[in-house]
Amino acid sequence: MQKSLKTKFLGHTINSPLVLPAGVIGMAFSGFNISIENGAGIVTSKSLTMKPRTGHRGPIIAEFEGGFLNCMGLCNPGIVDGLVEIDQFKKRSNIPVIASVFATSTKDFLKLTKHVNNSKADFLELNLSCPNVFDEFGIPLSASHDEVYKITKAVKQISTLPVITKLSPNVYDIVSIAKAAESAGSDALCMINTVGPGMLIDTKMIKPVLFNKFGGLSGPCVKPIALKLIYQTYSAVNIPILGMGGVTYGEDAIGMLMAGAEVIGVGTAVHYRGIEVFNKINSEIMEFMAENGYASLQEIPKLEKLKM
Amino acid sequence: MEKRITLKIAKIVDETRDIKTFTFNHSLGAKPGQFIMLTDFEGGEKPFSISDCSKNEFSITVKRIGDFTTRLFQKCVGDYVSIRGAYGSSFFVSNKKVLLVGGGYAVPTFNFLAKVLLETGADITLINGACTRAEHVFDNSFKNLNINVINTTDDGTLGEAGTAVEIAQKIIAQGKFDFVYASGPELMMKALQNVIGDLEYEFLFERYMKCAVGICGSCTMDPSGIRLCVEGPVLSKRKVEKLTEFGKYHRDASGKRIKF
Repeated sequence: MQKSLKTKFLGHTINSPLVLPAGVIGMAFSGFNISIENGAGIVTSKSLTMKPRTGHRGPIIAEFEGGFLNCMGLCNPGIVDGLVEIDQFKKRSNIPVIASVFATSTKDFLKLTKHVNNSKADFLELNLSCPNVFDEFGIPLSASHDEVYKITKAVKQISTLPVITKLSPNVYDIVSIAKAAESAGSDALCMINTVGPGMLIDTKMIKPVLFNKFGGLSGPCVKPIALKLIYQTYSAVNIPILGMGGVTYGEDAIGMLMAGAEVIGVGTAVHYRGIEVFNKINSEIMEFMAENGYASLQEIPKLEKLKM
Repeated sequence: MEKRITLKIAKIVDETRDIKTFTFNHSLGAKPGQFIMLTDFEGGEKPFSISDCSKNEFSITVKRIGDFTTRLFQKCVGDYVSIRGAYGSSFFVSNKKVLLVGGGYAVPTFNFLAKVLLETGADITLINGACTRAEHVFDNSFKNLNINVINTTDDGTLGEAGTAVEIAQKIIAQGKFDFVYASGPELMMKALQNVIGDLEYEFLFERYMKCAVGICGSCTMDPSGIRLCVEGPVLSKRKVEKLTEFGKYHRDASGKRIKF
């Protein structure tokens, strides 16, 4: 039996279901290169904004027992230079790229969409859920069912690429927000963004460890939350889910597939297992398939959907 | 991530008007070429090369260049700062005839390297270069080591007149070196690469870093995506030769390309 990780996502054939998520490594085209060299099937840019952003001052990352807190603060070279990096990557590679964008108004999301339309990106991701720019922009747009619907709908009308809406886990009713994105025409959902946010304190200097004080949680501690929210959402919508949150080993990725994800993001695990993590997880998924007699990812069963 | 630890500054030495060495009583277990991340929790966390490291203490040597280092320069012995590391790749430890080429505030890392190389019995020649006398550092530290030191300044105010690379070119032609190490401004290292011939080498690079653990992508180098905080900051000849950005551009905190 010929086993393969080859699968399809929104019409694109990919060699691995593993995705480099927004904000991880993908600042420059070289960041995409090192990720695909090591087995990623799709790569995502930093969330690009109209103007360059230097992000928060450091420390922007802090480790604790269960994972990391981070508050990068949406650092990115801006939409124009960011798309140059994507285009440069696409000159040498046919691996699909998700252009992630962030704005705070429909008007700016539309401007960003026009830029992405003219690039070599394959998908457009609407980051409606960055938890780390509260002081600047307030509650993430993805907290509001109406905002998610309004922005997704407007972007869908002009986007020439499939649109992926990135959702926050930090909401009371994820299903209604996922459904808002779906009914507005979103082609897929990306979930979950980081959890919390939370904080850590240096007890000698009596200071928050992160200069931004608060930062989103990622890593193994968020996996159960991610699985639960993906499963609930999968049960309620009919569009594919790019699932992520704490995936570190093949076992975690398979759990994501069973919860309803079609493809799986791997971010923080790059620290725990090295940049080789994509290839490692690919092999672990292959081993699982061999042990259980699955010839393709599609044969891996999904949980029975929740009854709504 | 190496565990964050908050430490008191144990000793401060003024090297020049704008360069200080800070020493901490802590068993860091670092290797030459590696770096730590340091913060005062007042905004900013920056990478610093380790200029000395023994069983129970380590030092960093810092040049005052911006807000962050200006605040650091106001600190006194006994004040706290928080560090994590050591991170990154380290220098290959040769036991042969080696040439160390250093420029400005990047020279002190060679103090740590030279001590480790001496333990293996390497025959060391160091070119300690700076623009001018006031920028020249670690003269006394190197005098205390059993190595050949050639001091140079671009303007001739201390040691030989000329750039470190000009001196390197001369002595590479004369001596039979087995290995070259460089730590200094990127354009110095680029110029050195052009005069180094077929010699094996390692260069210590500097790029904007944020997470220092290989996740954020701020310090990936084109085109292969070497993450300077993990696969660097010391890069081998094989890796340096593949860099397309070497001596051409680096990236700022937003990821925008900045020409040298």
